[in-house]
Amino acid sequence: MAEELTFILVIVLVAMAVGLAFSIGANDETLASLVGAGVLKFKLALILGGFAIGLGMILFSGGFVPETVGKNLLGEGLGEKYTNYMLLTVLISSIIWLVVGSFAGIPLSSTHSLIGSIVGVIIVYSIFQGGVDLNTAFNYEKLRDVVLSWFISPISGLLITYVLFKFSAKFLLSRLRGLNQIEKSEKNFKWLLLIAVLFAEIWVGANSGEALAILLGLRENYSITGGQYITFAIICGIFSFLGIYFAARYVIRNLASHMIDTRPSEGFIIQMSSAIILMIATLFALPISHSHVIVFCIIGMNIAQRKEVDYKGLGKMGIFWILTFPIAGILAGFIYFGLNMFGFT
Amino acid sequence: MREFDEKELNKLSIDELTILFMDNINEQNLKMIKGIEFLVQEKFDKFKENLNYVIDTNTEVQIKKKFESKIFKSKLMFSKADRLKLFNKINNIKDIGEYLANRMLLYKVVFPDEKFKLQIQLILKSLRKISNDLSNAVKLIGTDLSKAHDICEEIKEERRIMRKEEWKLLNRLYNYDMDYLSRTFLYLKNLIEDIMMLADHMKDFSEYIQFLAIKYLIFD
Repeated sequence: MAEELTFILVIVLVAMAVGLAFSIGANDETLASLVGAGVLKFKLALILGGFAIGLGMILFSGGFVPETVGKNLLGEGLGEKYTNYMLLTVLISSIIWLVVGSFAGIPLSSTHSLIGSIVGVIIVYSIFQGGVDLNTAFNYEKLRDVVLSWFISPISGLLITYVLFKFSAKFLLSRLRGLNQIEKSEKNFKWLLLIAVLFAEIWVGANSGEALAILLGLRENYSITGGQYITFAIICGIFSFLGIYFAARYVIRNLASHMIDTRPSEGFIIQMSSAIILMIATLFALPISHSHVIVFCIIGMNIAQRKEVDYKGLGKMGIFWILTFPIAGILAGFIYFGLNMFGFT
Repeated sequence: MREFDEKELNKLSIDELTILFMDNINEQNLKMIKGIEFLVQEKFDKFKENLNYVIDTNTEVQIKKKFESKIFKSKLMFSKADRLKLFNKINNIKDIGEYLANRMLLYKVVFPDEKFKLQIQLILKSLRKISNDLSNAVKLIGTDLSKAHDICEEIKEERRIMRKEEWKLLNRLYNYDMDYLSRTFLYLKNLIEDIMMLADHMKDFSEYIQFLAIKYLIFD
């Protein structure tokens, strides 16, 4: 009976991880600037974008972000392993908080939510179950790096965008005098935008390690084999492609319709800046929020162009961003404590 | 203005069609202004001839049709809507000009005195300058928005000068010592107000060009 339950739980977790990969694709808006600029036909853009995100997810499944979230955040006291109920709790808690955020109309970070949930679960486990000293429950160095990266990455995005825009303005954009020249230059930027968006999509896929982290957690506690992990990672990549192709199209089309006036040069700078940040974070195995980076890149662009920035709206968003980590943690803690009460550890 | 054949128009870009259209409308404006000057000089035949030219000429329709079919299929990326709006604003000048010409042809007025004639000519001089400047500004949109912006600033300044003269003229019209025919009063009042309307539209247009300059130019 216990074995059957464990088997069902593993299947549920794998299914949820695949579902999470689908939702990563479904929530991706990176292609909007590409579609808005009319660079490619809509379906082709979806196919290429979906392929890039899936490729990024699969190529970087062997370590990097999935390893940080699925293994390296845990300290020696926990033997660097999650139990399956821990993983289940982390997923449930993240989903609940993200759904609440969606109903409140606030874009929340799935990464922050997931890491917050992990922290909450481990604290509860250490105190009530494992008798683990909290000093050894976490890999504090890694946790510190991850949390620091959440602050550094958006600010770096803002700065890179600002510098890139100022540089391109000084040496190219400000030298374009007439509408004909501007149009011609923007036509060239269209193709650069295509490259930047696909490049960004690869790193979005690579950095969105939530789904693979669950699978990696299962691999580490020997619920699945290494071979199965690779197979499921490929399936996750395919599902992130399907997420973009079947679900993200509505958001992309909607956002793209508001971006008709956006210049491809601006889109290129924003996408390239966010891709650079995502790439660096991924190579350092740090899970960061793509949406936070993009929002700050747009702010960087607005500051560089001396446009108005909605600091009030940003402040409200910032509060929810900061609250995500502790709230997801508390929520996960309560859920895991509840499961513990029924003997599911 | 000569007629254009389809092949000739096909070769022109969106920008070139806009410039051609503006040239066409500017030429009609200048004809109309000249026509009003003939009216002031009481050369009614030439007045009628010039104003009928404005009403009858339809070479701009050819250009407009070509522009509309081209912009619809155009691969211009982000200035498409602005280019269309720009073109429509030029077209509105034609509409106002035609309306003005038709109204003026309803009657052949004799101006009350020489001062009145002089004042009207001052206004017409400003209108001519505004129309020519606007045409030059439109020509520069494709190549030098910054210069176009500066020219539009001059247009706005000229419109300010012109407006003062218009109010002086209207003031004289309402407070004239002798009574004139009600038709004369109405005609002159409408003439001044219609010229004001045309000049105001041109000023709005120049402000739109300045908006485009601000929108598209990037300063380091």
